[in-house]
Amino acid sequence: MKRLGASGHYTEGGIAAMDHELVARQGMTERYLLGELDADARHEFEEHFFDCSECALDVRAGALFVEQSKVLLADESRTTGASRPAPARPSWLAALLGMFKPAFAVPVMAVLLAVIGYQNLVTYPQLKLALNSPRVPPFALVNIGSYGASGQPLSIRPGEGFLLFTRIPPDGYPRHVAELYNPAGKLEWSLAIPLSAPDTSPRQDQFPLQVPGAQREAGIYTLVVRGLTAAGESKEVGRGSFELQFRNDTNQGN
Amino acid sequence: MLHLLPFPGPRGKSLQFHSFDQSYLDRLRAGDFRAQEHFGAYFGALIQIKLRSRVNSPEAIEDIRQETLARFFVALREGRILQPESMGSFVNSICNHVLLEHYRAGTRLESLDDDPQRDFPAKGADVLTLLSAKETEKKVREVLNQLSERDRRVLREVFFEERDKDEVCRNFGVDRDYLRVLLHRAKQSFKSLYLKDKDKKKDKNKTLGDDAPEATSA
Repeated sequence: MKRLGASGHYTEGGIAAMDHELVARQGMTERYLLGELDADARHEFEEHFFDCSECALDVRAGALFVEQSKVLLADESRTTGASRPAPARPSWLAALLGMFKPAFAVPVMAVLLAVIGYQNLVTYPQLKLALNSPRVPPFALVNIGSYGASGQPLSIRPGEGFLLFTRIPPDGYPRHVAELYNPAGKLEWSLAIPLSAPDTSPRQDQFPLQVPGAQREAGIYTLVVRGLTAAGESKEVGRGSFELQFRNDTNQGN
Repeated sequence: MLHLLPFPGPRGKSLQFHSFDQSYLDRLRAGDFRAQEHFGAYFGALIQIKLRSRVNSPEAIEDIRQETLARFFVALREGRILQPESMGSFVNSICNHVLLEHYRAGTRLESLDDDPQRDFPAKGADVLTLLSAKETEKKVREVLNQLSERDRRVLREVFFEERDKDEVCRNFGVDRDYLRVLLHRAKQSFKSLYLKDKDKKKDKNKTLGDDAPEATSA
């Protein structure tokens, strides 16, 4: 950079004009405002613009613009939340993080709170009351070895459990296993029927089987009973069936 | 030598043009309020810009500014200012001295309020107060809106976030010359907006019979 010289340049028109042109050509105002000048250059430029009205105007306008821009750009940054280019995130991570944004999280939390409140205030007390109250659960009689669905259809509410009073005719097997097949013929569950006491007389041949509640379809269900030998061999001793129906009332009884 | 005070005075009156000549010096020496107000605003703004990169505390900047102006007026009364044309250099020189003393003292400068002989110029408005805040904001916003989104982000990261300029340039795929040109164009736009506005006001004042002095450039 050409030395800008001491004071008094403007009284010597030629030098001053040349210096000013040099300053303008080299973009000294911008360098000054961007903090790019070294100490000497900065000192000389200041000496110049204290005496040069055009450069003083330039510096003041630039400084004013920069200062005001800071304020406006800060506002813009706060509004858009985009202070700097965000590093690229995997889409799944962006989606996951998006769930924590207030615009999404707040309504979701409100809905969750409402659900939790309803469960605690309505659903759970009703269930507790139902569990603690004496009642007659739905049941059906299943005679193993008989043909066709037994008696009346078993009518339950959707998802409700029931009892199967199962009668197994005497067969000499010490142990039995019961298997429940749904209307499609698919095994739903199996259960080992406990041994009856050897000294029981007459020997026990009826067993209440509790079937837990589940989403079932209506239709003919089949209960297959297998006898187990002491050696572990099994053989079907008979089967019984019952018809399952659904009712939509809210009564607790059968 | 003529000096243009391009921004309205703190009281909203445009001081238009002043000549830093013997007459101006005499008016200052005589305690002419408008001349002192102009002097304080004009050089106060330059001093503030000069100090901004050297002194962190706004209070210290104000102290140094006031001390510089006060010493100038002392020198003026003592007849030590012989060349009105060198007034700017003289102010800058005083400011350098005061700044050095500030560095040496390491603390805030002693208050000068108790010295009855010191006649302070009107508290000069700095560059931010010379234009009304609304006017300035409007003009700067206008300039910023003309920039592309990328250029605005460059300026934001350089000036607001004060990030490393080389890093900003690398991130946006530009070089330092681009940054200078960007600032130059924005500054020129701002200046032209201001000058256009000033011309309108001047025309209005003429219509109203304002006898503010006119001058030709130096």
